[in-house]
Amino acid sequence: MTLELHATPQEVMRAVEALQQLGRESRAPERELFGLALALEECASNVVNHALQHDASRTFRVRLERAADTFLIELRDDGPEFDPTRAAAKPEADADAPGGWGIRLVRRYVDEIRYAREGGENILRLTKRVSAPAQPV
Amino acid sequence: MPLEIQIQKNVAAGDAGAATVKLTGSLDTATAPELERQLAPVLAGPGKDIVFDLAQLKFISSAGLRVFANTRKALKERGGQASFINMQPQIQEVFEIIKALPGIRVFKDLAELDRYLAARQHSYEENR
Repeated sequence: MTLELHATPQEVMRAVEALQQLGRESRAPERELFGLALALEECASNVVNHALQHDASRTFRVRLERAADTFLIELRDDGPEFDPTRAAAKPEADADAPGGWGIRLVRRYVDEIRYAREGGENILRLTKRVSAPAQPV
Repeated sequence: MPLEIQIQKNVAAGDAGAATVKLTGSLDTATAPELERQLAPVLAGPGKDIVFDLAQLKFISSAGLRVFANTRKALKERGGQASFINMQPQIQEVFEIIKALPGIRVFKDLAELDRYLAARQHSYEENR
């Protein structure tokens, strides 16, 4: 599933709700879904607030995929080059800087964060292994 | 998911200055500004303490935590405090990861908070 979203907080939450819907349909455990939703909220908010500067006329894309045992979230925007995985390497003392809390949460709740700059786009891929779905009773 | 905000003033027995803010739903990038807007008149008033009841809060992100951090700072400057009750485990985990609110008071429920406030009042009266 790929969503094209305008750079607003409401659109960020539209993506989060789509993820939650996808997770529930595939019976992902609620606890893991909470962490994934939080990671998506933080990364997409970062795109809206920093890369696209709250310009609602600009758009970014979110791709959501559920494989057998993993979730993939991919965000693409055409804002200035910014690698949040490098920002995460800031010392603890700087962790309260804007974005510092968000990336700390993302790192905690996903298994892998990969950044690439391709074709003038920031591409951020988050992956998380999820437990097998609960068997229907 | 929307956020429902209910603000009640002076409901905690024995603590006339406290307001209780009950949050239902999601405190996120889209809803945090509304909470900030509704808290502004409370913070502009004479009350020193705010109790956040998070029993029905299902989701929180760093945008929501920043509202709590700003509220705590504003109350601390006037000798008050922000307290949290009925925090769900997934919300508490986010607080712990961020370590954003050192020294915050988290209570299991309203009864535990009331006991704390009564003890604080007792200590205050003894020291007068």
